This record gives sequence, C-alpha cells and structure tokens, in this order.
Amino acid sequence: MQNMTSERLILPVGVGAEFLLDEWSCEIRQQESRLLTFWDTFEWGVWFSGHLLYSCEGVYHLCTREEGWPGIELCEEKSVGRRRFWNEFATPEMRAKLEGMLGLRGLAPVVEGTFRRRQDDLRNGVGKIVCRLEWLIVSLGKQQEELLHSCRVIPLLGYEAEADRLEAYLFQAGAKISGEGPLELLLRQSDRIPREYTLRPPFGLKSETPAREAVGRVVRSMLEIATGTVPGILSDLDTEFLHDYRICLRKIRSVLTLVKEVYPAEETLRMRQILGDLARQTNRLRDLDVYLLARDEYLELLPPGLRPALDEMFDDFSAERGIEVRRVISKLRAHSWSRLMGEIEECFSPKNPHPPSPASALPVGPLVFRCIYKRYRKIRVIATEIGVESSDDAVHQLRIQCKKLRYLMEFFAELIPREEVTALQKLLRRLQSRLGEFNDASVQQQSLLNYWEEKKSGSDVALGLGGLVSILYHRQQQVRSLILQAVKEFCDDATAASFKKVFKQPLSVLTTTPPRSSQS
Amino acid sequence: MKIISSYSIKGGVGKTALSVNLAYALREAGRRTLLLDLDPQGAASFYFRLESAKKFKMRDANSMAEGLRKNIRESDFPGLDVIPSNLEYRRLDILLDGMTKRRKQLRSILEEFKPDYDVILMDCPPNITLLSENVFRASDVILVPVIPTVLSRRTLEQLTGFFTDEELPGDMLRPFFSMAQKRSKMHREIMADLPTAHPGFLKTVIPFSADVEKMGLHRMPLPAYSPTCAAAVAYRALCAEILSQPSLRP
Repeated sequence: MQNMTSERLILPVGVGAEFLLDEWSCEIRQQESRLLTFWDTFEWGVWFSGHLLYSCEGVYHLCTREEGWPGIELCEEKSVGRRRFWNEFATPEMRAKLEGMLGLRGLAPVVEGTFRRRQDDLRNGVGKIVCRLEWLIVSLGKQQEELLHSCRVIPLLGYEAEADRLEAYLFQAGAKISGEGPLELLLRQSDRIPREYTLRPPFGLKSETPAREAVGRVVRSMLEIATGTVPGILSDLDTEFLHDYRICLRKIRSVLTLVKEVYPAEETLRMRQILGDLARQTNRLRDLDVYLLARDEYLELLPPGLRPALDEMFDDFSAERGIEVRRVISKLRAHSWSRLMGEIEECFSPKNPHPPSPASALPVGPLVFRCIYKRYRKIRVIATEIGVESSDDAVHQLRIQCKKLRYLMEFFAELIPREEVTALQKLLRRLQSRLGEFNDASVQQQSLLNYWEEKKSGSDVALGLGGLVSILYHRQQQVRSLILQAVKEFCDDATAASFKKVFKQPLSVLTTTPPRSSQS
Repeated sequence: MKIISSYSIKGGVGKTALSVNLAYALREAGRRTLLLDLDPQGAASFYFRLESAKKFKMRDANSMAEGLRKNIRESDFPGLDVIPSNLEYRRLDILLDGMTKRRKQLRSILEEFKPDYDVILMDCPPNITLLSENVFRASDVILVPVIPTVLSRRTLEQLTGFFTDEELPGDMLRPFFSMAQKRSKMHREIMADLPTAHPGFLKTVIPFSADVEKMGLHRMPLPAYSPTCAAAVAYRALCAEILSQPSLRP
C-alpha cells in the first residue's frame, strides 16, 4: 500500500475534465468551493518556517508549504473570533508550533483566495478506477476569474502506466509542470511578496567607501525600516513594530555619534535632537509594553498566594497602555511627525549638498576600525573600575559603552573579517547579556517603586510589589558576580591583543587621504 | 498483521463472497487490507474489475514475494488492495513441493507485506493440497463458510479431522453459517445442532440473499452498492465479531 504522488500540471484554459471525455471514461464529481484566508506576521514567520496558516469557515489550519502549495495539514483549531498571537490559540499542538514561528508578532490576514476543488475518477474499459484526478481552480478573493487551473493525476497502485498515458495526453493539450503555486500567484496578484525582515540589513559598504556615503547608507536603510513599521504601530497589531521603530531611530542617532564629523556639526546636532524627540514620544508606551509582556514572568516569581495582588497593577498598566497607544498614534498621524521625518530624509538624501566636514571623505573602513578600537579601550578603562561594590550607575555606563561598540561592529560588519571577530563578538554578547539582565532588574525595581509611590495602593498590592522588588534585587545581586566574570574575559590581555590586531589602524591611514569635496 | 483465510473443501459455499465483503468491511473499519486471490477461477478479482495477475517467475520464495508485490492492484476503495488471481497458481503446489520447509513457505512470503497491511485476507480454492496446507500454516484464522446442509456438515468434519491428523491447531478454524435460510427446517435444525459440536463457531449468520448473487453484475462488494441489505449488514456484523475477539483482532 503506497501513496502515489505526482506532479501538479498547470492547464491551459478549456482543458478540464470535460476535455478528457472524448478519449477517457471520467466520472465527474461535485466541486467544493472554499474561501481561504491566509495569515502571517509582518516578518512572514509562518511562511519562512515553511508553513501556511489559513482560516476557512471558522477553523484555522496549519499546514506545511510545498513550493507555494498547501501541503500536509499539521493541526487545526476551531475559533469563534480572530486569533492574533500564538498564545490566543487553545490547542497545545497549535500553540507549540506557532510559538516559534510568531514569537511576539501578531497575525494579520495576508491574502484571500477561493479554492475550487474536485476529485474525479478515471476508469478503464471494464470500469475499474485507474487514476484519481485532483482538479484545483484558484481565484483571488471571491472573484471568479481563474488565476490557476491545475490537475494532479494520482495513479492507483498498479496503474502507473495509465497515469503516464493521461499525463502525456494533457501535455499535448498544453499542460505544463507547475512553476508557481497558488499562494505565490495570490500573493503576487495582491502585491504581497514575502521578504526576509531584518534590522541588520547589508549596506553594500567597502573599506574605501567615503565615510559620508557609508553613514548615509546606514541611516537611509534604518529610516526605511522605521517607516515600514509605522502602519503596524498605527494598527497596534503587536508590540514589535514600536520596538523596531525605536531601535531604528536609536541606531541612526548612534551612528551619527559613533562616527563623528561625517556630517556638518550643526546638522548632526539638529538630527540627533529630532531623532531624540521622535523616540521620546514613544518611551512610555514601550515601557508599558515591556511590563505587560513580562506579566507572566513577574507572576511566576511570586508565590501563588501573592499573585492576585499584582492584578491591579497590570490592569492599571493595561488601561494606561490604551491611552498611550492613542496618544502615540495621534503623534504619528500629526503633520509635525511627517515634517520631522521629511527633514531627516532630506538631510540624509544623497542629493543633499552638505559642505565637506573633517571626516566626510575619509575611507570608512579605517575610520570605523579606529572608532571600534578606541571604544574597546574605553570599555577596558571603565571595566577596571567595576567591582562588587560598583554602583548601578557605573554598571549602566559600562552597558552603554558596550552597546555602542556592538552597534559599531554591527553597522560595519561587512568590513570586518568575520572569522577573526567571531570569538570577540561572542564575548561581547555574553557581557552585554549579563549587563542587560542587571539593568533590567534595576530598572524594574525602580519602576515598581515609582508605581507604588504614585498609587499608594492597598496592603495587598504593597505585599506583592514588595515581594517582587526583593526578588528582583536578589536577582540583580546574583547577576553582578556573573558580570565580573564576563568583564574579566572581555577585557583580558588575549582579547585586547585580538582587538588590537584586527582594529588598530596607523594614524597615517586617516591623515594621508586627501579630503574630497563630497556629497553623501 | 493478521492473516485470515476464507477456506472450505467444498465449493459454492460463499468463500469468495466472504473474502470480498469481509475485505471491504475490514477497510471500512480502518484496517489496511490486502486481498490475495489464490483461486485460479479468479472470481474475487472479477468482482473488483481486475484483470488476471501478470505472469511472474515463481522459482523460490523471494521471486514469489517480488512477483506478488508487482501484481498488487489498488482497488476502487481506498485502504483495500488486491493481488488478482493467475492461472499459474494452479502450479503453486508443484512449486511449493520443490522447496525446503514446503509446508511453511507461504507464511514467510506473506511476512514481506507486514509493514504495509494490517490484514491479509486469502481467498482459497476448494481442495486440500499442499497449497492448502501452506494456507493453514500461514493463517492466524481460517474462516470456514458452512451452508447448514448435511454435505457441508460432512466437509467441516473432514476438515477438523485433517487438522487433528496433521496436529494443526483446531481452534484456528472458525466456521460460521453461510447462505442460511431460516424458512428451511433442515437449516434450522443444523444451525441449532452443529455449533454445539464445534465451540469455535462464530455467532454471525450470513443469510441467503439474491443481492449477493448480483455482485457479479455490479462487480463490486455488496456493501458498496447495497449497504443496508440484510447480507451486507451480516458481513459487517461478521467483521465486527472478528474484530471484537482479541485473538482474531488484526
């Protein structure tokens, strides 16, 4: 007993079951028509994991994607309302599969298509079924116009020769082996092409690229990603649009600071101010998102008896978030926002004739390597002062410097020999991760105390908050010793030697290049 | 995988109707079923609109297994495959006779199909030959249709006697009444009497039905074209009775 599979054939207009009746005995059955709505995230998490998620008549189906065709169904779930996040699904199987594909992202409808299916039987001279024919007609949305008309000839075991004969007949009539599947066609028709989404795109830089051109490319790429997140923020589909929007703004600000004197000083200052203002508009909303996303984690830290005490706080955060979302949306829709974004765009446009500045024409490779090496040495100096008694602020300063170093290495990753810095990046990531945990615990304690200050809620809430603050304090102290270890590794002589070997540049590299009059 | 045989020394007792309809009922019950038509008359194959199996070399167990596999035909009913009959099967006795372990070769050949099927159902020709002995030793259960008549009773007794003489396990013989007519006094008397002498008698009775005879016209199993007729219901009940018994359950 085997499952016989065969290629799907794409048929020209007019070649259907009726066309076969001249030569074959074909039993034509009832056609089944279903409107399928396909769902995915902004990052196409379902698509790029090799799956498709669609809903039809109140049931969500998750299946494999076989070159743009719905493949094997993995699980399904009935749903009265719409599902947005993986944890809104009820069945454990669906949740487990979607968690990895969606992460914190929300689902939105991507495209709708009508799938008309029919299975007919092809019989031989004595009336024995020899092949099953799976017909599929796909149309965009609820339209009747055929986007794709296909047939799959599935031979019954022992009747492969008959299937070959039929396929040859269909080829003669103009059938072709399927190139694009119905999903690819539907998506193309509706201008929705799945693209890999990243906050670290390649910028096409070379070592000798003039610094202004290089920084301009970084800025423009980040600005494009930031702009792309705005519709998602306006629809409040998930928290990651705002998160990414803020990261992009921060990265633009950083690159202007980290690679100095690439643009005229007054322009750099003006841009940094605008970017800062735009980011600040969203600070509170992001804070609230962070708290609400950590709700389960917070609650798990407390003994079950104390958990309900925090409900009031999270309800407050949730209510405040509703207000903040509306405020941020109104800011993003305001004329002033468009004007400020326009100013940034104009400033970094390749057509903008800024006057030369001290670093504008320098080759970006040596310039950035020098910045990286200087930043690393600065971290080493700060690190020598970090100990068990260091203040939270001192640790915070170290964290900021490490973040700047990582940004530099990230922006200009294309210029850095990967094999030589993999180990260094690993050490930096480990240190950053510890510093991040430390900082989160510190900030969270402060936020909880601030909440208490403002609300002066009842004793139950106080008990819950107190418990949580103690746990976070304890966690922070635990991380401190791990930070010291990570600092030691990142700043030891061997790592310093590696940084020096890769990044140290002779000063002459930057001074011998004649300045050019440049446009970014 | 279980191997079930439909067997009787006597012809015309409903062996092929049993094989075809039980195979259909087993796939309805979710069992991946292979029907092996060992009767050179090929009636079971005819009912499934199948042509004779293509000739294949039957030198040894390996070539036989390979030949049988190449001849598997998917029936019109998903989950049910058939190896159609072949006139060459009349030479099976001679072939088996030339092999070592000549009475047990069929079992080892059928073991080949274990991964693909839950049940292999064999429709056997009406005689006692070396092939029959192989069938007895290959099967987990032998279903024996018995028309409630004197001659049928006699052939059942011959069969049980053979099992005793050959020291074969008699409890694998599971007779049941086939083509029974309640209006016949003789049928009623034999049906009341015979099971007491044979404890393995199955309870389900397949009634005589003109619908069964029409299988030749429809060329498909009875439950496929007349699912609610008494005989179709009885074949399903027989399948359920088999599946309800742990020792018989595939």
